[in-house]
Amino acid sequence: MELLQYDFMQRALIAGLITALVCPVIGIFVVVRRQSLIGDGLGHIAFAGVTGGYLVGLYPIVAAAALTVFGSVMIEFIRRRHSEYADMGLAVIFYAGAALAVIFGTLVRIPSSGMLSFLFGSIMTVTYTDLALIMVNAVLVITTVYILFDKLIITAFDEDVAEVSGVNTFWVNMFFSIMTALVVVTGMAVVGILLVSALMIIPVAAVQGLKLGFRDTMAWAVTFSVVSVLTGIVLSFHLDIAPGGTIVMSAVCLYIFSLIWQSVSQMRSRAKGNAAALPQDSR
Amino acid sequence: MCGIKLDNIYFSYSGTSLLSNINMQIVSGEFIVILGPNGSGKSTLLKLMTGLIRPMQGTVEIEGIPVQEFRKSGRIGYVPQNYGRNTGFPATVEEIVKMGLVSQHTSLSKVASRHIVGHMLTLVGMEEMRKRRISDLSGGQQQRVMVARALAGNPGALFLDEPTSGIDPEASAKIYELLKHLNTTLGVTIVMVSHDVEKATRWASRVACVNYGLCYFGDSGEYRKRHGQDPHSWFTGA
Repeated sequence: MELLQYDFMQRALIAGLITALVCPVIGIFVVVRRQSLIGDGLGHIAFAGVTGGYLVGLYPIVAAAALTVFGSVMIEFIRRRHSEYADMGLAVIFYAGAALAVIFGTLVRIPSSGMLSFLFGSIMTVTYTDLALIMVNAVLVITTVYILFDKLIITAFDEDVAEVSGVNTFWVNMFFSIMTALVVVTGMAVVGILLVSALMIIPVAAVQGLKLGFRDTMAWAVTFSVVSVLTGIVLSFHLDIAPGGTIVMSAVCLYIFSLIWQSVSQMRSRAKGNAAALPQDSR
Repeated sequence: MCGIKLDNIYFSYSGTSLLSNINMQIVSGEFIVILGPNGSGKSTLLKLMTGLIRPMQGTVEIEGIPVQEFRKSGRIGYVPQNYGRNTGFPATVEEIVKMGLVSQHTSLSKVASRHIVGHMLTLVGMEEMRKRRISDLSGGQQQRVMVARALAGNPGALFLDEPTSGIDPEASAKIYELLKHLNTTLGVTIVMVSHDVEKATRWASRVACVNYGLCYFGDSGEYRKRHGQDPHSWFTGA
């Protein structure tokens, strides 16, 4: 446990574990609502927020949070108004975020190392201020999901059924969008804007095939996510490689392992079924 | 127990009149089936009754309360036509049924909600499947679970949009039997959209035939007598 002796590693581990917890908690809803690319779209807005923050002298994570929340609210408005072209709104906001990031970046002339740390994450350089903001975001997200849990599930399952059942789906969707934005900003410091969506989606994808209930799927996705983050941080420390990429590749490896395990289990149960179906004398 | 009243309803879509001059009074404990050709406005009528869409003119009331207000109580049971769009949804049967308690979850203890879920599953004959994932069930079994979910909130009325579409005839017959059982023994008011004219008119007490307006609203036996010799006229109500 040599790595725990370093102050920066302790902060990295705490930030990583918080991110590992909140990403799949929101990610499972994102997956079942078929909005798996929303994290990428919001990530681009977050990047515009970071560069915009440098431009106006705001702390980058605070500026990113503000702009990403605004973007998520816009995406939800467009989705509600044009439900048949829900992904169109996401694409428009996605491109607007990328374009703004480029414009702000040229205006303020941010050093390329600074840009790269937000794009690909810089968990080892997480400051106490970053950690405090990540914690505040996480508390907001977990508390909201806890309070709205039943309403979020039924709205994700079928919005019409939720509406008829007395759920105010407008506000549930709006809160959900804002929480997704906060999770993107939380993950930004850990795995970077380009990879934050991976921590929301891959652990859920790895567990989806296990055919569990909703709560169990969420619990196992969080477990996979925590294992990916811990493995990624430890490996990147010892091998001196990029932590963001290592964390995501650990999650991808777990996903592949899960797919293989599911295939083997299916083959075994099929073989058992065939054996049971054979007549006595042919065995 | 729940009476439903539609008064002078008019609804148009993209400037084209879809439903006009709809007046209906559904008495508590009735079993109504809505028939009509494709695109005639059957599902739209059901959505107006559940408050999912608002009419351009007229009012919809349940128990004398405007439907938009009434549904806040969570006492409308609704089984949509295309719930199957989310077939890979990671939830067990009991988690799906528990969704029906969404408007009451804060006032219910875990034991009470588990009891209600168990009771609803027993009612639809799915108690043994409670731990199974919904996507592992057959179409007919999934529909039974959807009915259990819709009933969990103790609804005044149960609205179903083509609950037997895509289901084999045997499973479809079981769904009808279940609905009739709920209607006769528990007194649940049922309003159902169906394409299955033969079966639906056999089980329902009254028929509403929709074709850009209400072309028939009356006794199902009478409807069968009038249109029994000419199946093509069943949908049009001619």
